[in-house]
Amino acid sequence: MYLTRFRLNTARSGTRKLLSSPQAMHAAVLAGFPDLLPSDSDAPRVLWRVDRVSAAEVFLYVVSSGRPDYTHLVEQAGWPAAGTGWQTGEYAPFLEKLAAGDVWRFRLTANPVHSVRTKDGQETKVTAHVTWRHQADWLLQRQEAAGFRVARKPDGEEAPEGQETPDRYAQYELMVHDQRRLEFSKGKRNGSGKATRVRVNTATFDGRLEVTDPEALRRTLTAGLGRAKAYGCGLMTLAPVE
Amino acid sequence: MSVLALLLAGPLQSWGSAARFARRTTENAPTKSGVIGLLAAAQGRDRADDLSDLAALRFGVRVDQRGTRLRDYQTAHHQVTEVSMPVSERFYLADAVFVAAVAGDDPLIGELHRAVRKPVYLPYLGRRSCPPARPVDLGEYGESDLEEVLERVPWQAAGWHQRRRRQEPVVTLETFVDATSGDTSPDSLRDAPLSFDPLHRRYALRGVRTGRVQVNNPMARQLPDHDPISPLGGD
Repeated sequence: MYLTRFRLNTARSGTRKLLSSPQAMHAAVLAGFPDLLPSDSDAPRVLWRVDRVSAAEVFLYVVSSGRPDYTHLVEQAGWPAAGTGWQTGEYAPFLEKLAAGDVWRFRLTANPVHSVRTKDGQETKVTAHVTWRHQADWLLQRQEAAGFRVARKPDGEEAPEGQETPDRYAQYELMVHDQRRLEFSKGKRNGSGKATRVRVNTATFDGRLEVTDPEALRRTLTAGLGRAKAYGCGLMTLAPVE
Repeated sequence: MSVLALLLAGPLQSWGSAARFARRTTENAPTKSGVIGLLAAAQGRDRADDLSDLAALRFGVRVDQRGTRLRDYQTAHHQVTEVSMPVSERFYLADAVFVAAVAGDDPLIGELHRAVRKPVYLPYLGRRSCPPARPVDLGEYGESDLEEVLERVPWQAAGWHQRRRRQEPVVTLETFVDATSGDTSPDSLRDAPLSFDPLHRRYALRGVRTGRVQVNNPMARQLPDHDPISPLGGD
C-alpha cells in the first residue's frame, strides 16, 4: 500500500477544473495507475481526499495498492518546472506497526448519510446528515466497527452552569468542519437522455483517536469509511499527536 | 482622560453630512454630528442648547461590519395643505456595525455614560427611523486614549459575518479619528456640530484621519496541523 501527497497549484485553471468537479478529480487520480485497467473490476479501491488548508495550500491525498505516477497531474495542476512533484510513502510498514492503545490525530472527509422513510409503506431513501451533531453521531456510531475510539478530553467536562447534562459532543476531541454540498452532472448528455445530477454532502472530521482493533483500523484506512468514495470521501489519515 | 465606547448596530443606519434637498445621502461611517446628537439627546438637551462641551470631545469610529448601501424612494404630502412634497431619495447602510468612541474629561464622560444607560430621548442611528438593534453602551474606559480603545474593543460584527471571515484569524478594520494638529493632509468632513437649532443648524469642517486596527476573529477556524506523510518516511 502507498500513501501519496500532491500539492495542487491553485493558480492554474487545470487545478480549478479538478477542484470543481469530483468526477474529473477521480479520473485524474485513477489515471496515475498505469497497471489499473478499466476492465479490472476486482482491483482494490483507490481512495483520495482533498485537504483545503488555506486558499493556496490545497493537498490531494491518495491511498492505493500500487505506486502512482502523477506526471500528468504535475503538468495539469502542479509546478512542472520546479521539479517538485508528489511524495509517496510506503504505507504497509506503518499500518503493520499500529497497535491497540496507540493515540493518533486523524482526519477524514466523509459522506455521512442515513436511510429514512418519510411515509409508511414507502421504501427507505438515503438522506444526508446536514447538521454537525448528526454528522458527529454518524462517526461515533461507526468508530467501534472501524477499529478506533474517538478520544475523550482529558479533564472530564463538567456540565456548564445552568445546564443539566453536559453537551455530550464537548467531551470528545472531535471537530466537524468544512461541510460542503457538491452538485454536478454525471455521464454524457446524449440525444435523448439528460445527464444525471449527483448531490453529495461531505463533512471533514478532525480529532484524536485511540486504536482499539488494529486489524479493523487497517481495513478502515485502506478501504475507506462510508459512501461516495469515488467523489473524494472515505479516506482517513493518521498523523502524530504533537 | 477617559473614553466612552458606543456600539452602533442596526438593520438600517443613515449618517448624512453633506446631504441637501431631495437627495439625502449617507457617509460610510457614523458622523461626529450624529453621535454627538445622540449623546446630547440622551442627556435631554434641547435642540437649541449649547453643545460646545460635547463638540470639543475627541471622536473616532471603527467600521466593524461595513454593511450594504440601500436606496429608498420616498414620497410625502404636506400634513395640512396636502400638497405633494418633492420626491426624495434616501440612502441607508443596511446591516452595518460600528464602534464609536468619544474621549474627554472624566466627569463629562461619566455623565455621558450615565445618560446613555438611562437616556432622556431614545438614541437612533443617524435618522429617527433607524433604531439600534443592540444596546448602545459599550462601557467607559478610564485613563485611556481614543486610538487605544478602538484597538481594544473586541470585534462587534454579527456572528454570521465573523463566520464568513473565518479564514482570517485577525481582521483589519478601518478607523476614522479626529485629526490632530500634527496630521498632514487629513480628509475633511462638514460634521462638527456648532448648533442643532432646527431654525439654523450649523456645522464646521472637521479633519479626519483614516487608519487601520487589527482585532481577533473569535470565529476563526483553526485547523490542526495534519501531516500523515512524515511518519511513513516518504521518498
